[in-house]
Amino acid sequence: MATRTVTVARPRPRGRGWAMSARAIVKGVWIAQAHFLRNLWGFMRRKPTVFTVQFPEERLTQPNAFRGMPVLVQMDNGKERCVACGLCEWACPTDCITIYPAETADEIERYPDVFDIDMSRCMYCGLCEEACPEEAIVMSQNVEIAAFSRRGTLWHKQDLLVPVDKLTDTRLHYVRRSYDR
Amino acid sequence: MPTITIDGQTIEAPNGAMLLPTALENGVHIPHYCWHPKLSIDGSCRMCQVEVEGSPKLVIACNMPIRDGMVVRTNTPAVQNTRRGVMELLLVNHPLDCPICDKAGECLLQDYSYAFGSRHTRTEEPRRKLAKRKDIGPRMVLDQERCILCRRCVRFCREVTGTNELGVFNMGDHSVLDVMDGRPLANDYSINTADICPVGALESKDFHHKLRVWFLKKTPSICPSCSNGCNVTVHHYRDRVWRMMPRRNDAVNETWMCDHGRLNYQFVNSAERLRQPLVRRNGTLEACDWEDAVAEGAHQLGRAVRTNGAASVGAVASPHLTNEENFRFAQLLRMLGVATVDIAVVVGEGDTLLIKPEKAANARGARDMGLQPADGGLAAMLEAAAQGTLRVLYVCGSDLPQVVDAQLLDRAVAKLECLIVQDIVRSPLAERAHIVLPSLTFAEKTGTFTNHAGRVQQLHQAVAPPDGQPSDGEIFSRLLNYLGEAHWTFDPAAVLEEIGAAVPAYAGITFARVGPMGWVVAAAPAAQGVGA
Repeated sequence: MATRTVTVARPRPRGRGWAMSARAIVKGVWIAQAHFLRNLWGFMRRKPTVFTVQFPEERLTQPNAFRGMPVLVQMDNGKERCVACGLCEWACPTDCITIYPAETADEIERYPDVFDIDMSRCMYCGLCEEACPEEAIVMSQNVEIAAFSRRGTLWHKQDLLVPVDKLTDTRLHYVRRSYDR
Repeated sequence: MPTITIDGQTIEAPNGAMLLPTALENGVHIPHYCWHPKLSIDGSCRMCQVEVEGSPKLVIACNMPIRDGMVVRTNTPAVQNTRRGVMELLLVNHPLDCPICDKAGECLLQDYSYAFGSRHTRTEEPRRKLAKRKDIGPRMVLDQERCILCRRCVRFCREVTGTNELGVFNMGDHSVLDVMDGRPLANDYSINTADICPVGALESKDFHHKLRVWFLKKTPSICPSCSNGCNVTVHHYRDRVWRMMPRRNDAVNETWMCDHGRLNYQFVNSAERLRQPLVRRNGTLEACDWEDAVAEGAHQLGRAVRTNGAASVGAVASPHLTNEENFRFAQLLRMLGVATVDIAVVVGEGDTLLIKPEKAANARGARDMGLQPADGGLAAMLEAAAQGTLRVLYVCGSDLPQVVDAQLLDRAVAKLECLIVQDIVRSPLAERAHIVLPSLTFAEKTGTFTNHAGRVQQLHQAVAPPDGQPSDGEIFSRLLNYLGEAHWTFDPAAVLEEIGAAVPAYAGITFARVGPMGWVVAAAPAAQGVGA
């Protein structure tokens, strides 16, 4: 097999590498010492300005666009808004939603008898929310799915219900705006 | 034969044919609601309008006889505009029930709305309010708001069943579908109206709010409930059967099936199903593994034949098993030399349309496979057991207690040395058995049934049995392995070819020849007893 040599013109890195590194190092040191000094100043004045969020005790409020685990909207009468149409189950790329519909004598005749979400499979994509014709399933701010067993990561309907008042001004507002409803 | 041109395609069709079926048969899809191949022409939906050269207006294709040289266009701007207009008018009063409607996903109104309708509604008036969830019969529920007044169901009740329960009342914009006063939609074929309903106005109570149709997987099969052998499609999901729908076969059931057959699928999903064999030890039935149960069964059969002769063993074959399985059963009995055999078939009432008196799908097939009744039949067999001359009885299926005298059966079972029962549930007869072998249902196996007219039709496996649970044919093959020398296996396709070689009426049969529409056996059915 004949061989041949090809000279490859490799592009040279733009700018001067060492100069860029030095600038970054200086910038990093500057930020770190600024934080340090501000904390130190606050500490000395007995008014500490710490940036760390003390997680289990303190929580951040996420923007409305944040996608945590999906939850079911609970109407004022305590029932779910979901009519078990199955579109989220169909849209779900990870097949983590399981619905068994049932019938009631109410005006809205259909409700989910079983509505399970396997949170260990959910990937927070939000397609269920986008598919829902009833604004019944929305993404929440909750991302805490830790459980002591795999069975514990299976959330049932009662675990998923969130009163509509808590969602109207936040995620439901965002959903109506972003999906042009 | 007249020659017509549809969208530039030249088509020959028989004299007197209508334009719509001719187009559909030749692959030109013209949308339609009220036309149905097995019902008369109504022409009420106006959806199938097409342009015919020389005609001043659009014509409805369903009621347009073809004539030589006709030139038809189905996709001109005028046609498209008309379809959009028809769709808009149909949707003016149609409720937005799609999320809770069982028809969503197989609804013609949805499909045509996507294909031919406009995206937005122009009306602002409230939709008309009518009865929803109206109970119109033991198996049907009516939603009048969803109805588009195509009258398919009305024609079905008038022309197919002749019972005339449904009608369209009032006139014009006040027209509404309803049942006649005091005549609920209760005929034996009522759920067919849900099949032919192009929207979700008529729904089967059995499938009401059960599952979205797009999750269902469909497997062609044969209805197991009577000897008519209606072609069906088994709809299944998550290894459960959710419903059965008729499958068109003009030689058997056209496009219909009876309500009893359609609803008789729950036993497949039953939680009572036997999943493990049972063997009686120290007086109680205990679960054991398959190897032990089959070995015990073979031991009992073999010992009885060796010590007391083949006449001490009797067999009741099941008309619910496939031809292949019954052929293996006949081979098993032949190897043992057993000639005391009969088939337990429940005989009920039939009608002139589809329902046949024999309430089992494969009684004829079982007889054809060589399980011909011995002299005296079941009564003589049980009498012999009660006398003590017949010591081991092998019962397949659950029909025996329904076709024989209860006291005779009681006396016979009390006297038996060994009763082997092969059934799908732990029936009262199985409670008294010595060995119970779980059986599989029609939805869980592949094979063929022969209907009353000798048409061999294929079943396909729809749902999977639990791991390791053998089919009935596999059980017979394993028993043969214990009792004989040869190594028997059970592959339905191979067994069907064996049948083709062994039974003259079935000469040359294969699954490929049976196909989706069935294969009719040769005129003279095989009249040979066990041991032939």
